[in-house]
Amino acid sequence: MSMKLEHVSYTYMPGTPYEKEALKDISLEINKGEFVAVIGHTGSGKSTLVQNLNGLLHPTKGTASLDGVDLAGKTKEAKQARGRIGMVFQYPEHQLFAETVYEDVAFGPKNLGLGQEEVDARVKDAMKFVGLDFETYAQRSPFSLSGGQMRRAAIAGVVAMNPDYLILDEPSAGLDPGSRNAVFAEIMALYKKRGIAIIMVTHSMEEAAKYAKRMLVINKGQIVFDGKPGEIFLKEKKRLLEVGMDVPEVYKLAEALRAKGLRLPNDITDAKLLLAEVKRRKGLK
Amino acid sequence: MDPVIETKGLTHVYIDADNNQVTALGGIEMQIEPGEFVAIIGANGSGKSTLARHFNALLLPTEGNVRVHGLDTLEEDNLWKIRQNTGMVFQNPDNQIVAAVVEEDVAFGPENIGVPAEELKQRVEDALRAVDMLEYREHAPHLLSGGQKQRVAIAGTLALGSDCIVLDEPTAMLDPKGRKEILNTMRKLNKEQHITVVYITHFMTEAMQADRVIVMSEGKIAFQGTPKEVFSRVDELETLGLEAPLAAKFAFELRKSGAKIPDGIITNEELADALSSR
Repeated sequence: MSMKLEHVSYTYMPGTPYEKEALKDISLEINKGEFVAVIGHTGSGKSTLVQNLNGLLHPTKGTASLDGVDLAGKTKEAKQARGRIGMVFQYPEHQLFAETVYEDVAFGPKNLGLGQEEVDARVKDAMKFVGLDFETYAQRSPFSLSGGQMRRAAIAGVVAMNPDYLILDEPSAGLDPGSRNAVFAEIMALYKKRGIAIIMVTHSMEEAAKYAKRMLVINKGQIVFDGKPGEIFLKEKKRLLEVGMDVPEVYKLAEALRAKGLRLPNDITDAKLLLAEVKRRKGLK
Repeated sequence: MDPVIETKGLTHVYIDADNNQVTALGGIEMQIEPGEFVAIIGANGSGKSTLARHFNALLLPTEGNVRVHGLDTLEEDNLWKIRQNTGMVFQNPDNQIVAAVVEEDVAFGPENIGVPAEELKQRVEDALRAVDMLEYREHAPHLLSGGQKQRVAIAGTLALGSDCIVLDEPTAMLDPKGRKEILNTMRKLNKEQHITVVYITHFMTEAMQADRVIVMSEGKIAFQGTPKEVFSRVDELETLGLEAPLAAKFAFELRKSGAKIPDGIITNEELADALSSR
């Protein structure tokens, strides 16, 4: 099972003076069960990329498909395929609209035409997943929740659709560190328990390094790097800075320590490992 | 000199969507001095943004008062003056653009208060130069990067004559390069033009660059001090849903393991120095 882009190009407003080629001949395969981070500066094409992946935009050239079904198709299969890809937009709390949290989360499943019992089960399940207690929050207005809770309620609405592929556009933007960790704990639980694929657009190098197994670096509508985050951060710092990206803090700390003569292995990608290594070098427990 | 911003017993109560009374701010006492660079950090819902909106009278106190340059925000006659003195920059760059050309966007504020044409031109030019965006004066704002858009918004407050700028999570939606641009711009304005800066952020690495860090929790000031003082309190920050910089966390952990590391280490370089001198 996989989603695939084959030689995909996408042009905004073709044939007008505002014509802009946002994606240039991209080929890419993402399998179910992968956790992929997508990074790139504003305007690099990452949002266009994920919108082509979930069928919100259709390629100007090339094809986007899910298990061989062309997402641009008008058939029942194409519609079903698009339904298996969930998307949580930036600041999803801005899209909350219903009078109660229950109604908001139930909106998607109801539109799938599911029976009341199934809708009920899905809402309970989804709320549990994002850590919102059903008894406490189901009948409350989503607008009385805190920022972090609102975001979780919005994510619950997408989770309730049981997607096989979940696209998250900057899921932690504007959240404090505590809420960020809470949202990611839920995303990771969802990822592990349901074995779905997660594609996450992020501006946070820390999150890409911490959670993703694969990272795509996008620049000028093309994939510059596609590989393990650790390897890219270790080997490509210069190029990353050139395309407006950065490396996580732990790489900078390791570099500062090395510059002062502390001997450390060259492949440290994790704060815990770095701390253990520093302790070992300094003869601490 | 009088403080730029002074709050006395500032309390803000509102009614939420479930009809509950919520105290967003509970008796805040605070002064911000001319030329200071103050960072405000705190968990979501701790009252940071509510507080910021009191600084230019977008919100008014339920109890207590706020004085901006000595002017009480509760006096309606003061509002125009206060809003010229204290500019605000918000999170979403796309929500703050009003014109189709960069220089017209920057001119919007001063034009509205009746600045004469010649002076207006000069103000716009100075403001765009100060944020390093002069070469983009004739560009369309919607085609700029996030960091560039935010700098145009900052220029808009400068052109209005603000000597204090309040930024509410100005980098939350920006990529790493954009984040650096904004922080560097504000540091430069603070150093070279003595602009007072109130900088709300969830990025501790940004707050580290301030003169003073105020930590908010549940509508109150939990504690405050220099970045060194605040970010050394690794445990307390975590309890409040915040996070110390990596170097401070390392210093904390290494001390627990028996290393003799001086207090107040928050940057990578300080940690490296402390470890190499042993």
